[in-house]
Amino acid sequence: LNAAAGRAPRQHVRFLPGPAGDGGGATGLVAARVPVLAEHPLVRGPRFRRLKIGAGHRLDVKASGVFVLGIGHGNKLLTDLYNCHLTKVYTVGGLFGKATDDFSDTGKLVEKTTFDHITREKLERILAVIQGSNHKALLMYSNIDMKTQEAYELAVKGLIRPMGKSPPIITAIRCLQFALPEFQLEIHCLHETQQYLRKIVHEIGLELKSSAACTQVRRIRDGVFTLEDALLRTHWNLQSIQNAISDCQLKVKTELEKTLG
Amino acid sequence: RGAGAMWGALRGARRPPPPLCRGLAKPAGPQSVRQLREAEEAAPVFRYAGKAAKRKDRVFVWGFSYSGALGVPSFVKPDVGWKKPRRIQGTPYRLETEEKISSAACGYGFTLLSSNTTDITKVWGMGLNKDSQLGFQRSIRDRTKGYEYVLEPSPIPLPLEKPQQTRVLQVSCGRAHSLILTDSEGVFTMGNNSYGQCGRKVVEDETYSESHLIHQLKEFDSGVVQVVCGQDHSLFRTKKGAVYACGWGADGQTGLGHYNITSVPTKLRGDIAGVNIIQVSSYGDCCLAVSDEGDVFGWGNSEYLQLASVTETTQVNVPRHLPFKIGKIKEAACGGTGNIVLTEEGNVFVWGYGILGKGPNLTETAVPEMIPPSLFGWSDFNPDIRVAHVRCGLSQFAALTNRGELFVWGKNLRGCLGTGRMEDQYFPWRVTVPGEVVDVACGVDHMVSMVKSFT
Repeated sequence: LNAAAGRAPRQHVRFLPGPAGDGGGATGLVAARVPVLAEHPLVRGPRFRRLKIGAGHRLDVKASGVFVLGIGHGNKLLTDLYNCHLTKVYTVGGLFGKATDDFSDTGKLVEKTTFDHITREKLERILAVIQGSNHKALLMYSNIDMKTQEAYELAVKGLIRPMGKSPPIITAIRCLQFALPEFQLEIHCLHETQQYLRKIVHEIGLELKSSAACTQVRRIRDGVFTLEDALLRTHWNLQSIQNAISDCQLKVKTELEKTLG
Repeated sequence: RGAGAMWGALRGARRPPPPLCRGLAKPAGPQSVRQLREAEEAAPVFRYAGKAAKRKDRVFVWGFSYSGALGVPSFVKPDVGWKKPRRIQGTPYRLETEEKISSAACGYGFTLLSSNTTDITKVWGMGLNKDSQLGFQRSIRDRTKGYEYVLEPSPIPLPLEKPQQTRVLQVSCGRAHSLILTDSEGVFTMGNNSYGQCGRKVVEDETYSESHLIHQLKEFDSGVVQVVCGQDHSLFRTKKGAVYACGWGADGQTGLGHYNITSVPTKLRGDIAGVNIIQVSSYGDCCLAVSDEGDVFGWGNSEYLQLASVTETTQVNVPRHLPFKIGKIKEAACGGTGNIVLTEEGNVFVWGYGILGKGPNLTETAVPEMIPPSLFGWSDFNPDIRVAHVRCGLSQFAALTNRGELFVWGKNLRGCLGTGRMEDQYFPWRVTVPGEVVDVACGVDHMVSMVKSFT
C-alpha cells in the first residue's frame, strides 16, 4: 500500500528569489509553483502506518476454512453481519473407535472401542434426531409467541431464527462420506464454537454405543462468504484483496438489507 | 549442646541406617511420540454393542396420570418419601413392559396394551375400571371385589379356547368399553353396554363395575381385521372390505340408516355397499372409512362441519362419499371435532372445527386444507421426509414421519401433547422421544407411543 504511488503533493505559489525578468544579475522575486515541502514523502513518512482490521466469527487454532476480516470502515459492517445471525457451514471429519479428552484426535486417549456394528443407516438416524431436537430449540429460542398467526407463517417458510443470544443450534446436519472408521459430516449451525462441533462428534460416537474423535473442522461458508470468495495464502497481496472486497460488496449489502431491513 | 552430646553418644552407639538409594522422585516429563503411540496401541479395546445387537422396543407414555392411565403407580401413590405425586407427565416417560407391545389404545381415562405373543398373558390394561372396561381386576385385599382404578399394567384374562395358540392382533378403547381383536377367535368386548356397544343385548339396570362378563363376537362375513371404538359405538372391518357397527346411534354414527341403538353388529350399506374398505376410524361421534381406491366415506356427527361438504344436516346416518379432490387417500383419522387424512403423496389435510394445525386463525373449515410439509421437517436439505401415519385424539392430532419423528398439535388438555408446555399448539410441533416412533395412540388426556431405540 505504501509502495503504491500516492497522490501528487499539493502545489502552491511561492515567491522565490531568482533571476529577474530583465537581464543582468539583479535578484528579484519570481513566482513559481513548487510542491509543498510538508507533503514530501521523506517529511511525512509512510502513508499507512496502521490498518484497523477486525475479525468476524472466531476460528480456533485446530480448525481451518473461511475467516471473514473487515478493514477500516468495513468493521461497522462486521457488527451488522453479526446481528444478522446467518448460518455457518462446516465439514467435520470424525474417526470412530477412539475417545479423547479434548474430543479431537490429537488429545490424550481416554478409551478405545469397537465400531464394526455401526452402519450408515444408524448414523443417519442419529443425525435425524439431532436435527429434530435442534429444530425445536431453534423455534424455542427465537422468542416468538407460538400462538400467533405470524409465528405460523414464519414457521411454514422456515424463517424462524433466534435473533439474539442463544446456545449453539444446528440447523441442518447430514453425512457426506462414510467409510469405517472415518466419516464426514456437513453441519449448518448458529452461534457455535468449533469445540462444540467436536463435542457433537464425540456425542454421536457415544449415542452409537462406540466412541468418536474429531479429525477435521473446516468452515466452508460463513453467512454470504463461501470458499470461492476466500483468498489462499498465495493470494495475500493488495490486488487480490481489493478485488475480493469489490466482489463481495454487493452481496453483503443485499444480505444486510434483506435481514435487517 | 546437651542434645547434641546425646546424639553424638547415640551415634557412636548405633549408626543410623543408610538412606535407600533411590534417588529423588521426578515428575513424568512429556512423553515422546513413540511412547504415546505405543501406549495407545497397548490400550484395551471395549465392546459395548456387538454386530448383531438388536434395536430394543420401548413404550413411552405422557399426559394426565391421576386416572392411572399412564401405568406408573408412583405418580399417583408415591412409594418413596422423596417422591411427590405427579398429576401431569408433560414429556414422554418410559414405561417398562414385560413383552414387546405391538398394539396400544387409549380410551377415556384408561389404556390397553397388547402383545402378539402366544404366552398366556397377551393384554394388559391400566386406568379407570369403573365399567369393567379392563375386565375384572381382583382386589388383593378383598378377593370378592375388584379394583376401580388400576395403576399398573395388569393382565386381562381372556376366555380363549386355545390360549397358547391364539394371538391378539389389535386393541381399541372407547369411552367406557374396549374391544380386543384376535386372529382366530373373533373379537372380545368388555365394559359398558348400556347402548349395546359391546355387541350384546342391553340388559336393564345392569351393573357394569366388577363384572366378569367378556363377550365374544364371531358372526361376521369374514375374519375381522380391524376394530375401532367410537365414544359409545363400535366399528368392525372385515377382510372382505365390509364394515359392521353396533352401539349408540343418535348421531347416526352406526351408519345403519336409523338413529336407534344397535346391540348386534350389523353390516353398513349406503355409499360403501360393495366397496372394499381398507381402513376405518372413529373416536368421537363421527366416522371415516377409506377404500382401496383412495376414496373417503363419512357418517355420524356433522355438527362441526365434518361432513358439510356433502350435506347441511348435522347428523348423517348412512355412509356418504366425500368428494374431495386432494389425491388418492391412504389413511384417515377422526377426532372429536376435526378430521385428518393422509394422501399417497404424503400430504396431510385437515378439516372440521377446533385447532386444526394451520395457525390460530383457522378454526373451522368444511373443505380439507393442506398442512405445508415444511412444518414436518421437509426442506431443500431434506426433500424425502414424508408423513407416514396420522392419528387423532379427542381434540389433538398426531403425525408420524418416515424418519420416526412424532409431530403433535391441538388442544393441550392436561399436558397430553407431550411437548413439555401446557399451552395449546396451533401448528405441528415435534415431540422429543429418545427413539424412533413406530406408532402412537391418542386419548382424551394422555398418549402412548411405541418406540424403537436407535441402535
